[in-house]
Amino acid sequence: MQLTINNQDYEVAADPDDMLLWVIRDTLGLTGTKYGCGAGICGSCTIHLDGEAVRSCITKVSAAEGVAITTIEGLAMLSDDGEEVLHPVQQAFVETQTPQCSWCMSGQMMTAAAFLASNPQPTDEEIDAAMNNNYCRCGCYARIRTAVARAAEIAQEGAA
Amino acid sequence: MTDKTTNEKQKSTRKGVSRRRFLLILGGGVGALAVGAVAAGPTLVREGRLAMNTLFLTGDAPGTAPPKAPFVWFQIDADNTAHLYIPKIEMGQGIHTALAQVAADELDLAWETVRVHQGDAERGFDPALIFTFGSTSVTALYQPIREVAAALREMLRSEAAAQLNVAAERLVPVGSAFMVREEGGDNLLEPPITYGQVVAAKQGEWKTPETTSRLKTSAEFRYIGRSIERVDLRDKVTGRAVYGFDARVDGMKYGAVARPPRYGATLKRAAAGTAGSLPGVIAVVIRDGFAGVVAETRAKAHAALAALELEWEGGTNISQAEIEAMVSIPAQGGTLIQRVGDVEANGGGTRVEAAYRVPMASHAQLEPQAALAEVDGDSVTITTSTQSPEITRDRVAAALGIDAAKVRVVPAYIGGAFGRKTGIDVGAEAAILAKGAGVPVHVGWTREEDMMYGYKRPPAVNSLWASLDADGRVTAIHHELASADILLNPDIGAPILGRILGTDPLAAGGSLILYDFPNRRVVYHHTPIPVPTAYWRGLGSFPNTFAIETFMDELAAAAGTDPLDFRLRYKPEGALGDRFERVLNAVAEASGWRRTPTDGRARGLAAIYDRGTVCALVVEASVENGQIRVHRAWCAVDPGLVINPDGAANQVQGSIIMGLSSTLKERFTVENGMAAAQNFNAYPLLTLAEAPTIEVIAINSGDEPVGGLGEPVVGLVPAAVSSAIFALTGERLRELPFTLA
Ligand code: FES
Ligand code: FES
Repeated sequence: MQLTINNQDYEVAADPDDMLLWVIRDTLGLTGTKYGCGAGICGSCTIHLDGEAVRSCITKVSAAEGVAITTIEGLAMLSDDGEEVLHPVQQAFVETQTPQCSWCMSGQMMTAAAFLASNPQPTDEEIDAAMNNNYCRCGCYARIRTAVARAAEIAQEGAA
Repeated sequence: MTDKTTNEKQKSTRKGVSRRRFLLILGGGVGALAVGAVAAGPTLVREGRLAMNTLFLTGDAPGTAPPKAPFVWFQIDADNTAHLYIPKIEMGQGIHTALAQVAADELDLAWETVRVHQGDAERGFDPALIFTFGSTSVTALYQPIREVAAALREMLRSEAAAQLNVAAERLVPVGSAFMVREEGGDNLLEPPITYGQVVAAKQGEWKTPETTSRLKTSAEFRYIGRSIERVDLRDKVTGRAVYGFDARVDGMKYGAVARPPRYGATLKRAAAGTAGSLPGVIAVVIRDGFAGVVAETRAKAHAALAALELEWEGGTNISQAEIEAMVSIPAQGGTLIQRVGDVEANGGGTRVEAAYRVPMASHAQLEPQAALAEVDGDSVTITTSTQSPEITRDRVAAALGIDAAKVRVVPAYIGGAFGRKTGIDVGAEAAILAKGAGVPVHVGWTREEDMMYGYKRPPAVNSLWASLDADGRVTAIHHELASADILLNPDIGAPILGRILGTDPLAAGGSLILYDFPNRRVVYHHTPIPVPTAYWRGLGSFPNTFAIETFMDELAAAAGTDPLDFRLRYKPEGALGDRFERVLNAVAEASGWRRTPTDGRARGLAAIYDRGTVCALVVEASVENGQIRVHRAWCAVDPGLVINPDGAANQVQGSIIMGLSSTLKERFTVENGMAAAQNFNAYPLLTLAEAPTIEVIAINSGDEPVGGLGEPVVGLVPAAVSSAIFALTGERLRELPFTLA
C-alpha cells in the first residue's frame, strides 16, 4: 500500500490491520515518533493525519492510506537555501528548554502544532485542556505550558 | 596562607584526586589533538562505587592495576572543532551540557566550536564509569575534568607560543584561540591563532605538562554558572536523537520473550508448539529458563508467544494485603542505625506519634526497556538505553557464555530512567535471541511488560514518636522504618549484605534525624517481599523524607510553633545548619510564607539534606470537589555550586511533578502474585492540568558542586502537601497516595 509521509511517498508491504506507529517506526525507520503505551493514553505516538493530531499506536495503517501523514521529522521546513527552519513549536520548545529526556516531546509538539493551527491565540485554560492528555514522566508540564504559549507568539510574529 | 593550602589539600584528598597524577593519553592522526585523560588509580570508578555502597564494604574492592581507561576525551581538529566525549549518559538531566560547560570553561573554548558526544567503549571508556545514577555525575567529574582541560589549555598555549615565537605569558585565550598581548602593553594583537591552527601546525609529539595548571577562579568562569542551552535539544525536537528503542541496523528483526504468570516463577519446560509455523516467525529460541520468538514485526513476535507450550513452576501468589502485612514494623527487633544521646531516658514527656505508609510504584519512564543486539562470531554489540553499560555488558556476557571483553555496549539516549534502566536486562534478551536466530534482533518491552515485570519502588512504613517537655521543647525522637529491598534485591546487589548490616543501606537513605534534637534514635527493619523492588528516584529518601518532614509538621503543631520557626529552631548544627537556614529563608521569602494565602488555600513546608544538597519546598494547595489541588510550588535548592541554573531548575521542577504524581495518584498493587495494573488506564500519572506553577531558587553556597539535583526534592512533595492539607482542613494525611476522608 502507499503512504504519504512528510510529503514523500512510500510503498509499504503492511497488513491493513497493522498499527500505523510500527509501520512508521519499524518498517520505514522514522523513529522520531515514539511509543509509550500502545493504548492511546500517553500521547507519545501523536502524528498528524491531514493536519489533525491522532495517536498512531491505535490507528490502523489502512486508515492512513490516501491521507497526508506528518511526523515530527516533517514538522520543520527547509528554507530556499536548504537550511532547516524549525516550526514555531519546535523553536519554542528549544527556547524554553522544555524537554528533559524528550521521549514524550515528539507527541507533545505534534499535539501542540495541530492545536495551534486550529486555535492560534489560545488562552492558558485552552492550552491546559489541549495538552492535558499527553503524559510527561520527566515532569516538564510547567514548561510545556510556557512553550505552547510562546509558540503561539512566535507563529504570530512570523505571520505579521 | 597556610590555612588555604591545608584546605585545598584536604579538598583534593577528599575527592580522591591527586592533581599531579593525571596521565594524558595523546593520540589522533595528523592535524588533530586527541587527549584521553586518566586519573592515576581507578579513582572515579572507585568513587562511584563508594557513593553507591556508602556505609559498608562491598568485598568488590577496586583493583590496583595501573589506570588505562580515560574518564574524559577531548579532540581538537584542524578546523577548530572541539569534540568532547562525556562518560555519562544523557537521560534528560542535562549532564552532557553541564559537563561540557565545565570542560569548555577551563579550556577556554568558544561555545559554538563544541561538539558533545557520548563516551563509550570505542574510546576506551570503562563501562563502570559510565554508570549514571544517584545524581553523582557532576560532583564526581567536576574537578578532574577541569584539571585536564586546564592542562590541555596550557599545552596549546606553549605550543602556540613556540609557533609564534613569543613568550607563553603573552598569549591570552580568547575562545578557542589565543591572541598575543603587545610587548609591555595591554592591547591584543590581531590576528588570533586558533586552537585548530596550533594543532594543524604542530610538528612532532605533544608533551604533557609537568606541573598542574592553574584553575580559574569562579570570577573568571564564562560558562559555569550560566544557563547554557542544552546541547541535545536540537536533535531531540527534530526527532533525530537515537534512543535504545530507536536503534536500527539493516536486516534486523524483532524479538519477544515469554514472561512468567507470577513473580518468581521459572520456566520448567518449554516447547515451540506451533509458534515456529506462524506467519512472520523467523525463529523460536528456547534454552534453559528462557523462551522467545524472533519475527518480522513486533506484533508477530508477541502474537507467537501465545503458541509456545510453556510450563512455569514456583513463584508467589501473594496478595496486596499480605505484602502490607510483611512490610510493617514488628513490636521488637530491628537494627539500630542512629543513636544520639539517650532516647529512653529522655522520652517521658508528652508523646506525639504517627505512622506513614508509601506503596509500591512503577517508574513509568515513558521509554520502556529496549536493546538491539548484533552478534558477529563470538562478539556482540548491544545498543541500548542503559544507566549501566557495565551491568549490561556483564549480563550479556553471562547469557552468551562469552568473555565480557567480547561485548561492546553502545549507550544510546535514555527516554527516562529514574532508576529503572539498570537490571532485569533487555540487552541479554536481545543477545540470546540474536544468537539463536542468527540475525540482529531488537527487543523493546511493551508498556505492559515494563509495568508488570520491571522492578518497583519498595513499599515502606515509617513510624515516629517524640517527647515534648512542658515548654513544647522536643526532648527525644524515635524513628523506626521497614522497607522492602533496593540493594539487597538479588538482581541488583548482594543479598549477603543484608545479613552483615541488618539493613538495606539504600532503603535506609535519608532515615537519619539530622535536626538538632538532643536525643535521637533510628531503627531499621529489613522486610523483603517476593515482588522485585529496587532503585526508584530518591531511593529511601522518598519515603523517609515524607515521614520525617510530615512528622516535623506534626511536632510543630504540637509545640504550637510555626513550621518554619520550628525547623529554624532545630536546624542541624554547624555549616549544614547554616545551609538549612538559607534555603528555608529563601523559600519562605519567595512563597510569602509569613503572609496569609488566598482564601481557601493553605501552604505546607518541607526541607531536606540529601546527597550534598540542601532543599526546602513550599506548596500551596486547596481542596476542590473533594480533590487535592496543588496550585503553586516554590523550591530553594543549594547544591554547592550550580553549573547550569536553568538545567537545575528543570531537574527540580521535574522532581516536584513526579513527587506530586506519587502523592496524589500512584499506587502499584499485586494480586495473585502479579501486577494488578498493566498499563496507564489502571495506573494513571499526573497530567498537565494538575501541575502547579513552580518557582525554583538556586543558591550557590560554595566554589564547587557538592550535591546532585535529580533526587533530593521528590520526597519533599508528599510532606509539604500533607502539611498544607493539615493547615487547611486539620486532617493529617499519612498514607500515599492521599485520599481525603
Ligand atoms: S503510545 Fe500511543 S498513546 Fe501512548
Ligand atoms: S521529557 Fe521525558 S517524558 Fe517528557
